[in-house]
Amino acid sequence: MGKITLYGVDASPPVRACKLTLAALGLPYDYVVVNLMGKENLSEAYLKKNPQHTVPMLEDDGACIWDSHAIICYLVSKYAKDDSLYPKDLLKRAVVDQRLHFESGVMFANALRSITAPIFMHGSKMVPKERIQAIIEVYDFLETFLKDHDYIAGDHLTIADFSVVSAVTSLPVFLEIDAAKYVKLTAWIKRLEKLPYYSENSVGVQQFFGLIKSLGVTVEA
Amino acid sequence: MVLVLYGTEVSAPVRAVLLTLRALELDYEFQEVDLTAGDHLKPDYVSKNPQHTVPTLQDGGAYIWDSHAIMGYLVQKYAKDDALYPREPLQRAIVDQRLHFESGALSVRWKQLKHLLFEEKVTELPIEKLHETYALLELFLDGHEYMAGDQLTIADFSIVTSVSTAHLSIAPVDATKYPNLSAWLTRISSLSFYEQANSTGARRMAELVRAKLPKQFDKLWQKAFEDIKSGAGKM
Repeated sequence: MGKITLYGVDASPPVRACKLTLAALGLPYDYVVVNLMGKENLSEAYLKKNPQHTVPMLEDDGACIWDSHAIICYLVSKYAKDDSLYPKDLLKRAVVDQRLHFESGVMFANALRSITAPIFMHGSKMVPKERIQAIIEVYDFLETFLKDHDYIAGDHLTIADFSVVSAVTSLPVFLEIDAAKYVKLTAWIKRLEKLPYYSENSVGVQQFFGLIKSLGVTVEA
Repeated sequence: MVLVLYGTEVSAPVRAVLLTLRALELDYEFQEVDLTAGDHLKPDYVSKNPQHTVPTLQDGGAYIWDSHAIMGYLVQKYAKDDALYPREPLQRAIVDQRLHFESGALSVRWKQLKHLLFEEKVTELPIEKLHETYALLELFLDGHEYMAGDQLTIADFSIVTSVSTAHLSIAPVDATKYPNLSAWLTRISSLSFYEQANSTGARRMAELVRAKLPKQFDKLWQKAFEDIKSGAGKM
């Protein structure tokens, strides 16, 4: 097995999804912190490896892969002892894939990044009301997905749980998860918090919250 | 085996699945879901797909949604080889990254523009974000004929549907600015099944978009409309 290197920052939800997966698989890897504030991701060296200049990025024995979902699917396919984290059964896999794309579009792009991009790139201090509606939509759908199951894509832990939890635990800095309204969602987060390697997510969540708060961001009432 | 595709051809993700079904030469039924009439919000549809989006695929007694999940499922289940969605982990990772680029960047930007146009009825569209996406797609195609490498994959099907719709309406792909993307668009639109699976729907959607277009796009609109009428470039 060649050398695995993960490039990223702990505050980033998709980086945390990769860290959770690497920990779940018990894979050793080097972690390289990318100085995003210093635009290190826009350096020639980084762009050569990842023209989309995002984090996370994974290097495996010289090959570069990016997008957290592609990375975590790759890691399970290549290194896992069994397929429980990313089932080979096509119907079960289709559910995991749908959850992963839900995370990409509805959660990360539409809910989270739509809020953080103006904050990090244009110094915006106020989160508009419409963006909060996008977060409510996320919480509502996740509650529905968890209606009859203990995990986000069915009855067992999969990489969909890692992807979704990294993003959903980052959203409460803008809108708290009402435990009375989102019973299943709250219980599922608590279930994942019991994973022995959950600190791979929780540490970064605290950093993300700290970052947003330190910028003095408020939500439009 | 009964495959039923629920959707509407103006929807880009529905067309991505149509391209895949045609490429695999699969028989299927098409069930029209009228989004403007709220068909997708009716209890019968929501029981199949609680996210109430299109497309949804029914295979026997199972329901699957999200176009990317559906396309991956169809190739893995029915294709005679893995060309359209390679099994080798590294090759697959490239296709997966392109698919997530589509759902995370391209699709969301396109939806946000449509929302501004149809719901907020704005008179100026911020198409710079779409151009940023085109610039990245141009880079992905550097040195390759297809989105994920040297052969056709479901990544091409996924991306071509919204790019073609944008090309025919608010953001034509300028061949001098985006030579790779423009050549790729021509290449994909030359596939034998492209006309039926994507072209018709893309043009219908483009017409809906252009009907709402602000005055500033008049010249663009004229040219694009002429392209549609003449069927120029098979797009």
